[in-house]
Amino acid sequence: MRHILGIIIILLFIIGFSLVLTIAGNYILPSQEIRSLAKYYLYLAYNPWHRNFTVMSPEAVTSIVWDFRGLDTVFETAVFYLAIIGSIALGRGILKYSKPEGELGLSLIVKTVTKISAVMIIAVAASIALHGHLTPGGGFQGGATAAVAPLLILIIFSHYYLLEKGVTKDLMLFLRSLGLTGIGIVAIIVYLIALPQGIHAYVLQNQPKPDSSIGLPAYINGQLISGTLWFFNIFEFFAVMAGFTIVFLLITIPERAFKKEGEGEKQ
Amino acid sequence: MLTYEEIMLLVTALASLFSVIAVYYAIMEKNLVRAVVFSAIQSTLYAFIYYMLMAPDIVLVYIPVAVGLYPAVILILISKTEKVEKQ
Amino acid sequence: MISLPTYLLTIIITSMIVNLALALYGIFFKPHLTKKIIALTILGDTANTFALIVGYRRWIYPDTPSRPPVLVNYANANQEELIKFVNTAVDPLPQALVLTAIVIGLAVTLFLVFLALQIYRLYGTLDVREIKRLKG
Repeated sequence: MRHILGIIIILLFIIGFSLVLTIAGNYILPSQEIRSLAKYYLYLAYNPWHRNFTVMSPEAVTSIVWDFRGLDTVFETAVFYLAIIGSIALGRGILKYSKPEGELGLSLIVKTVTKISAVMIIAVAASIALHGHLTPGGGFQGGATAAVAPLLILIIFSHYYLLEKGVTKDLMLFLRSLGLTGIGIVAIIVYLIALPQGIHAYVLQNQPKPDSSIGLPAYINGQLISGTLWFFNIFEFFAVMAGFTIVFLLITIPERAFKKEGEGEKQ
Repeated sequence: MLTYEEIMLLVTALASLFSVIAVYYAIMEKNLVRAVVFSAIQSTLYAFIYYMLMAPDIVLVYIPVAVGLYPAVILILISKTEKVEKQ
Repeated sequence: MISLPTYLLTIIITSMIVNLALALYGIFFKPHLTKKIIALTILGDTANTFALIVGYRRWIYPDTPSRPPVLVNYANANQEELIKFVNTAVDPLPQALVLTAIVIGLAVTLFLVFLALQIYRLYGTLDVREIKRLKG
């Protein structure tokens, strides 16, 4: 009950302070114009009349994340990689643990509903990752959505169910390394294509530039794939999903695998 | 009558006022499971604010991360350690 | 009198500032480690909201709403439609930076949860004052 007084005071403070600021203040609010840098990015995101400057992707945010500011995304992937490595290093030195007897997990109704919805979650996540260059979506979005399904299976069934199905930590590490290698190869593929032909090219290049006339095709068979953006989205999806699954597998290991020998139970 | 822009900003302002209530309860609550539930309510209101500010990419990342992954991981942490904050 | 859109935008910004202050109070003055982790996630989300408010754009006329930065019918686009898109769309650059920030925040929070579990296994409690007493 004593929280109600604090809440009322905070709300009245917000409403009154805003009124005072509006009448008497002169400060920064969102205006009706945006910066000129943003206008360049919006103008050049999909522009078939300026073929040497554009990204050929009608989605401005994905074209900034993977083409205009691609180096930021490379460093962000490195930071994520180091955090996962740190978590794996903290999970070493565990004893062997065996599956206990009896029925594990939650009740039968919850298990049946989870079997349907986990498959649907992975299908929706793959759809979000694949059309990230046309509508809002992309690699991160799809990977984070697809990481919810193993977490559901780990909580509702048990940790042992997932290990019996073959989804172990080593398989997820292999899948994550595959995703990161794919990102690395796609980042330098235009340079590797241009090397035998003697044409000048850049790293992380997508479309032809004014002084380097080689690039990946934007349309294949009438479908728009925007060069390297589609491949980046697929590999990022696998890397993010596998990374999160490793962390969830390590966090649900039962506590009795961490006790040292000679340490008794707490009475 | 109100124009369309004013209606949209009114709904956003109401959502941010409710999020202040949710954050206050999340910080001041002693039972940790209820604090996690209030944090999930605050994340849902923030996702609505992001949609009103015309950022659909952020909504697609924020909903699985802040409403699905964060509460689940912190609930696993609570079930392995203590459930109630003392004093 | 005052204009209503300015007042409503001020309410949004002030409530985000109050959220920031409450989250900072929670990090500094609450002694349980799990409560500190919850307050840290609230702090990160509020900072991202500030970045998105900077990138917003007000409506120019009462019947041309500002739109998200996605070109919808790209197959038959012409120059006038592109100019109209540039004049009414929201800034896409803060959205790209917030995308990166959310993923990094998630990775750091997962690492902090692992550290909290390890502290509980070593000391038996998660209260910061007890740990300070027991250390050694």
